[in-house]
Amino acid sequence: MMSVPVVETRGLVKRYGDQLAVAGVDLLVGPGEIFGLVGPNGAGKTTTMKILATLLAPTSGEAYVTGIPVDADPIEVRRRIGYMPDFYGVYDDLRVWEYLDFFGRCYGVPSNRRAPMIGELLEIVGLGDRRDAYVESLSRGMRQRLCLAHTLVHDPALLILDEPASGLDPRARVEMREILRELRSMGKTILVSSHILPELAELCTGVAIIDHGRVLRSGSITDIERSLRSNALLRIELIADEAAIAAASDWLATDPRVGDVLRHDGGSGDTARLEVPFDGSADAQAELLRSMIDAGHHVVGFSQATSDLEEIFLRVTGQTDEENAA
Amino acid sequence: MTASGTTFGSVRRSALREFGSAVWTIMVKELRARMRGRRAFIVLTLYLAVLALITYGVYVVVGPAARAAADQQGGFGLAQANASRLVGQYIFTVLSIFQMIMVAMIAPAFTAGQISLEREKQTLDLLISTPMRPGAIVIGKLLTALAFVILMIVAAIPITAIVLMYGGASVDDIIRQQVLLLAVAVGVGAIGLFSSALMRRTQAATVLTYCIVLSLTLGTAMVFAFWTEVAQQDQTGFVQEREQAPEQLRYLNPMVGMLDIVSRVEVDGPTRFTSSLYELFGRDLASTPVSFACDGIGCEGFGGFDQPMPVPVDAFGQAGRTDYWWPRVAISFLIVAAVLTLASMRLVVPAGMRWALRRGGARRMAAASLGAPMIEELPETER
Repeated sequence: MMSVPVVETRGLVKRYGDQLAVAGVDLLVGPGEIFGLVGPNGAGKTTTMKILATLLAPTSGEAYVTGIPVDADPIEVRRRIGYMPDFYGVYDDLRVWEYLDFFGRCYGVPSNRRAPMIGELLEIVGLGDRRDAYVESLSRGMRQRLCLAHTLVHDPALLILDEPASGLDPRARVEMREILRELRSMGKTILVSSHILPELAELCTGVAIIDHGRVLRSGSITDIERSLRSNALLRIELIADEAAIAAASDWLATDPRVGDVLRHDGGSGDTARLEVPFDGSADAQAELLRSMIDAGHHVVGFSQATSDLEEIFLRVTGQTDEENAA
Repeated sequence: MTASGTTFGSVRRSALREFGSAVWTIMVKELRARMRGRRAFIVLTLYLAVLALITYGVYVVVGPAARAAADQQGGFGLAQANASRLVGQYIFTVLSIFQMIMVAMIAPAFTAGQISLEREKQTLDLLISTPMRPGAIVIGKLLTALAFVILMIVAAIPITAIVLMYGGASVDDIIRQQVLLLAVAVGVGAIGLFSSALMRRTQAATVLTYCIVLSLTLGTAMVFAFWTEVAQQDQTGFVQEREQAPEQLRYLNPMVGMLDIVSRVEVDGPTRFTSSLYELFGRDLASTPVSFACDGIGCEGFGGFDQPMPVPVDAFGQAGRTDYWWPRVAISFLIVAAVLTLASMRLVVPAGMRWALRRGGARRMAAASLGAPMIEELPETER
């Protein structure tokens, strides 16, 4: 049973008319993972999740949840997943416990298990004191948590959460993250999407960066960072002297590992900065610096542009835009 | 064989139980929201109060005239019974027609938002991503919406039963009236549900529903009348006898059904109240008066012998009259309800997943044989 991945997609394609929403997505999520789907709006995250939640049929390709093909046996798949859409409504005219009771019944949870389950779930999502409140009286963050609780009523193996933190204030985001962490400790496999990578970074065991319906990078966040570091952006600061700068640029351009050098004038006037895309490891960077100094260039500063997740994300998604343009 | 037979049976039974509990799930949720507080009970009370008021009004208006007619005929025995019977007839007629109009107008109002509202409020995705069958969702919604309408119909029985004190209408007539009202409620409710599943917006669904209901009641009546009128004249303009529009046109007209039931109790021919309705929905529906005696209330619009009479109506009153129109109307509405409910089920399922839901069982077997983990490995019958 260990060998069966909780989520597996192979060459998943979804076409809406001419538009290709998902263009061959391959995902592999093992048991107990929290897997993040990251990408800008319209990247195909929601479509992928809807296919896994059996709400859309893929145009081609295969998708399995715990080994069951989603398009062939949706009912069985639905028993194993809890799905939280990106946009959804709640039944305003029910009380909180009635709402969960309703979904408990929907998933065929026996009546003697429903009442204790509702209590537990409300504790997990921090709505324990709101049991008898009407859903319409809940704040947005509370509704979001209630919707999260509803995905858990049948104790599914997999949670599919589409932008669970969208539209929440920072505090509510933190709360949501805490809940997800708790669910992870309970052994749930979670597939979660966001258009903000850092939001998921500390939470996820794996991430797939998606854009234009394709997986651009997939793996753990450190893997992705490492794979990007070889293609780092160096910031080289030089004494602001036109001739020297031109010479340095020319010198750098002769190195095959260096991309297009960009000049970035420093505000102080004493120094100028070159932004140098460099394809090479840390050793190669040190090598570059030494040979640069040996060549007589007046290097004041030499550093790699800090690659925070935001930047990784922008760069990864930006690359494809260039590729597409090319 | 026996062993496999029992497993098949138990699987089918458990599938049925699952379906039933899903329907019940929807009903419990909807009823919780709908019947909460006093609103539903106030509406019901008001409705019954209106019915009672109408009954009293009919008594006040018709009673004296009927008594006067009875006095003219001697004022004793048979004449008095006749007067009492007339009051009963009138009450039954007015209540039946009023209730039919109410049912045709209220039932769609309850169902026309059932699915489109879920779409508008974005709750439908949550609902259909549960393992519940779309059929159970649709039927649960229909039954809940109809529950209140059915309550209104059934709760009015005691008021209608007042006519039993006066005579004129029998228990059989009340049963006929109830059966037709319930059938029309289910049919019209299904029409609302279907438009709700078809249309994105509740507003559009409501408009569509009332358009359909109007064209069924008034539209078919007008087409029928016009068609008959044209059919009765050939090119030379001579009136031909017994040419009528296809009678199937009337099978989905709730008023035809109700007038058919009402006409059974009008042994003296159409009353002043109903004669204009017969003009609209077909004069042939009116029963032929037993005698030519004027009852002092509804002398005009005898209906009678000058009209073509293709329907097997016994010319001498209701004694030998067969049930013709109303069962056809009732059955037609039940068929419409079944067809539209099935259509709604398909519309609720997200496009592209429809075939998968049907063939899920077969694929499940295939998946199981490939070694996919299964909670329960069910044979193909579980669909």
